[in-house]
Amino acid sequence: MTSINSTADMRNFLETYDGPSVRIMEVCGTHTHEIFRQGIRRFLSPKINLISGPGCPVCVTPAAYIDEAVYLALEKGCTLTTFGDLVRVPGNVKSLQQARAEGGKVKIVYSPIDAEKYAKDHPEEQVVFLSVGFETTTPSDVIAVKNAVRDGLDNFSLLTANKTMPGAYEAMASSTDAYLYPGHVHAIIGTKLCRDLAERGVSGTIAGFTGDELLAALAVTVKNVSEGKPFFVNAYPRVVTDEGSPAAVALVDKFMKSCDAEWRGIGVIPDSGVELRDEYAAYDARKKYSVPKMEFERKTACKCGIVLQGKILPSECPLFGKACNPDHPVGACMVSDEGACSAFYMYGGQS
Amino acid sequence: MCVGLAAKIISVKDGVAMVDCTGAKREISAELLDDLEPGDYVMVHAGCAIAKITDDDKSETEKVLKENLA
Ligand code: SF4
Repeated sequence: MTSINSTADMRNFLETYDGPSVRIMEVCGTHTHEIFRQGIRRFLSPKINLISGPGCPVCVTPAAYIDEAVYLALEKGCTLTTFGDLVRVPGNVKSLQQARAEGGKVKIVYSPIDAEKYAKDHPEEQVVFLSVGFETTTPSDVIAVKNAVRDGLDNFSLLTANKTMPGAYEAMASSTDAYLYPGHVHAIIGTKLCRDLAERGVSGTIAGFTGDELLAALAVTVKNVSEGKPFFVNAYPRVVTDEGSPAAVALVDKFMKSCDAEWRGIGVIPDSGVELRDEYAAYDARKKYSVPKMEFERKTACKCGIVLQGKILPSECPLFGKACNPDHPVGACMVSDEGACSAFYMYGGQS
Repeated sequence: MCVGLAAKIISVKDGVAMVDCTGAKREISAELLDDLEPGDYVMVHAGCAIAKITDDDKSETEKVLKENLA
């Protein structure tokens, strides 16, 4: 093979690749979005299949979680603080947007740390932060709790649905030949896990987010898959080091412990989430307000679960672009810009 | 919601940093990173600096290609 050393070379390689077919799952919603935005799918060789995996926190948040949040807003009178994306996600009964229309207080914040500040400034309100996200956002959630302890607040808590990636990598391994690992998750947890997975036959490349970073990661992945040996490459070394962020890992471990977690459309994956330790139960909204278990699961025709596993394209869902569109999302994958269905819709469903 | 943004440190004090994120100034938590100095670049997620960025993507990509595809 001639060597590849420029953007044009990488593009040419990915465009003309004619080896064994390769399935690559991008696990990060931001990757999904950037790959579409930069038009990369449009020129990829038909031998390269990209699968948009379960890496958008909004998309994998179960409907029952939204029901819990709605309960806190409408039955307990709490002020919900949240990232904007979550507001339109359908619950089993209603979305937070609908709860707000019925008088529920829902405030969009930039970060959990700002939510804690809001609670400090509004002692008369019971403030709950909707804590969803992966390894990248959990440190901020924990810093918010730490600040609440420091400030002596008794009106701030988290409704946790925090997820961790390792369990998902294992659970989805048969759906792909290699992962495009989410760069920022590994900025926190380091690279050891990826090396261990490669030893067990699960391959992948840690990718950054700029055009060149994505092209380089894809080219490296395709070449390695075509050679047929399990591999791991860190293609984002300016941000991801082998050890990751021991400070972040230690901080999260002090406040949180591992738990089983439900992934919307996929089901419960053992040890794939974290929740507050018992010592911090006062900051756990579920315990503080005795939130009842939301058992009820409304059946919808949404196919997010199998879209996230790469079994069908969003455009193969019968609701895609018809009953389900960004103005009226039926499933969570259509809500956030990082969701597979929303990205397909916005960028014209190029596959 | 998960978008990480590169930002430049303007000042740091007691685990809190003021950053410049493509023109917008913002206060973020800097408690995960030791010895940050004004002028350093960091990756920010949900109001918290999660990693120091050591290089630009150009020389990084060159290195990745050289090691894996040359
Ligand atoms: S198009 Fe809508 S209903 Fe169909 S899988 Fe995607 S989010 Fe679900």
